Amino acid sequence: MSLILLRITIALYSIGLLHSFLTIITRKKTLFRVALFGICSGFLSHAWSILYTWRETHLPVSNLHEALSFFAFVIVLAFLLSYARYRLESLSVFIFPLVFILTLAANLISSPQQPLPEILKSIWFYIHIPSTFLGYGAFFVTFAASVMYLIQENELKRKRPQAFYYRLPSLEICDELGYRSLSIGFPLLTIGIVAGALWANKAWETYWGWDPKIIWTFITWLIYAVLIHYRLSAGLRGRRAAFMAIVGFFFVLFTFIGTRYLGTAHPYIQR
Amino acid sequence: MANMNLVLVGVSHKTAPVEVRERLCFPEPKLREALQELKSRYDHEEGMILSTCNRVEVLVNTTNLDDGVRQVKDFLCNFHQLRYDFLKKFLYDFTQMEAIRHIFRVASSLDSMVLGEPQILGQVKNAFNCAQTAGTAGSVLSYVMSKAFFVAKRVRSETGIASSAVSISYTAVELAKKIFNELSGKTVLILGAGKMSELAARHLTSSGVSRVLVWNRTYQRALDLAAVFRGDAIRPEELFKHIEKADIIISSTGASSFILNKADGERLIHLRKNRPVFIIDIAVPRDIDPQINKVSNIFLYDIDDLRNVIDANLKQRQREAQFAEEIVRQEVESFLNSAKAMDVAPTIVSLRNHWESIRQQELAKSKNRLGPLTRDQEAAIDTLTQSLLNKILHGPISELKTLSRNPAAKEHIETIKRILGLKDR
Repeated sequence: MSLILLRITIALYSIGLLHSFLTIITRKKTLFRVALFGICSGFLSHAWSILYTWRETHLPVSNLHEALSFFAFVIVLAFLLSYARYRLESLSVFIFPLVFILTLAANLISSPQQPLPEILKSIWFYIHIPSTFLGYGAFFVTFAASVMYLIQENELKRKRPQAFYYRLPSLEICDELGYRSLSIGFPLLTIGIVAGALWANKAWETYWGWDPKIIWTFITWLIYAVLIHYRLSAGLRGRRAAFMAIVGFFFVLFTFIGTRYLGTAHPYIQR
Repeated sequence: MANMNLVLVGVSHKTAPVEVRERLCFPEPKLREALQELKSRYDHEEGMILSTCNRVEVLVNTTNLDDGVRQVKDFLCNFHQLRYDFLKKFLYDFTQMEAIRHIFRVASSLDSMVLGEPQILGQVKNAFNCAQTAGTAGSVLSYVMSKAFFVAKRVRSETGIASSAVSISYTAVELAKKIFNELSGKTVLILGAGKMSELAARHLTSSGVSRVLVWNRTYQRALDLAAVFRGDAIRPEELFKHIEKADIIISSTGASSFILNKADGERLIHLRKNRPVFIIDIAVPRDIDPQINKVSNIFLYDIDDLRNVIDANLKQRQREAQFAEEIVRQEVESFLNSAKAMDVAPTIVSLRNHWESIRQQELAKSKNRLGPLTRDQEAAIDTLTQSLLNKILHGPISELKTLSRNPAAKEHIETIKRILGLKDR
């Protein structure tokens, strides 16, 4: 059932993908409304699919298939929230294709039909993983906003406006969106890490394991901590802040995907 | 529409120099008289005149297309007392669908000197209103013009043809918005109280900038200009004390050397805690060291940079104009289709044929039953059925003809066709 819902979700997200392609060729507001409708209904069926699995067995973040799907879900959530606040159509060009690819990838990787490991049957599972994921979703928005900032700043400094100048939002909006999403993502990641430590203490009787994923997550956290610190204390903004946020997101990606190959106690990635 | 015979004759900035255009101009007070003359002296059912500084165009709905073109040209020569030999090389003329297409393009600002400039639509609307008050605009012109306004609106909302600035001042405002997003709550500092900087500042304040600071070498002039904007003047020696308050700096002093260099810029950004500054240097020779643009969060534009942006904006408008042309093409086509549907002549012919064939059939049947008839009797029956048919058909046919004059009656015509069992051929 949840797999059928996920397929419906993909079909709906593909409308968003189509929009991104068409936006590059032409520009029509009506197309965006259709795409937004597709993404919204995709989001609903996605949510249904996740809730369904949750009610039947467990919160579906326990293997790579489920993790990718959940990550796509979180990114759509982050997009819809920032769209509600800033009405940024240009953000969709980045996000719709990514969401489609993630959901498609999730669909192609089959879900192992095995019972949930004992260790995951814990309240911490429901705090540690969702809050980390939501944090990553927020950081993705920070990343996208930072990329848009750098492109727009480059256009303004070069003084020869091209297509991006006309289509991207103002520097102020890019910077603000980057900062807002950062200040939402950071506490979520912090909660995720603390919950993970408490969970580890309960399961393995240690707060801190020298696990690659844990180490890389901590490095990621440090980068964002430094960024937030400078933003608050020294008013760091604009170009340098955007650079740091982009670097930070590469660490997120590495933590999320790259550490698979380093051997980790985080089981769904290891599979 | 059975009675649509559109003729458009005119001159524009593309075909005639200003010396010619000004002689063809219809000033507002004379317009009514001109419209009335256009309608009464010639054979036109409807007429309107569009007269702006870039174009003069006369649009009529007439009875005969070829005569119409000649008559409108005649009218232009007579009214302005110009010789046709002199005028003919500047005039263009369009009929029917070509005229429709031209009107759509003009109203959508695709034929304007500055592509996408917004005034033309208002001017076209005004010209149509004048024709309405003068009583020279009937149902056909009303229909055509309402379509033209619709097309112009579509072009405006679906393409970016008018979305980017093409004047120095508006380009500065637009750039400021690309940096700050909103200008409300922002402060602009004017360096050097000149006409150009005053103009730019005026555009900025009308776009939301809330505070104006003025600095000038002679303090009194700074005070005077500050008073205009209800802003504050800065004493000549106190520039660097206040400069950090400015989000936007407009500079046009007569200074012979740079008044701000890169080191000043770095200090400024440090004092502003990295909040961006937009500097517009409209002075020649320039007031601000161009190196300052290299400082992060400072955006410096001199007069040539602004012109480059305008060029890019114009190119952007040209790209958007291609989408607009496509919209015009679609709309002309849909106009053509609905005009076809409005044309009742084929309907009337097929209506007559249909009933005539019924009459013939029934006549043939009856002849067998009536037996041999004299020629007179046969003729009498023929006349009887014929006049019966004419009487019956008189109502529907004259109603169809009336309906065809009303563009909104398209659906009624369709219904009548359906009721009478007529298919389009």
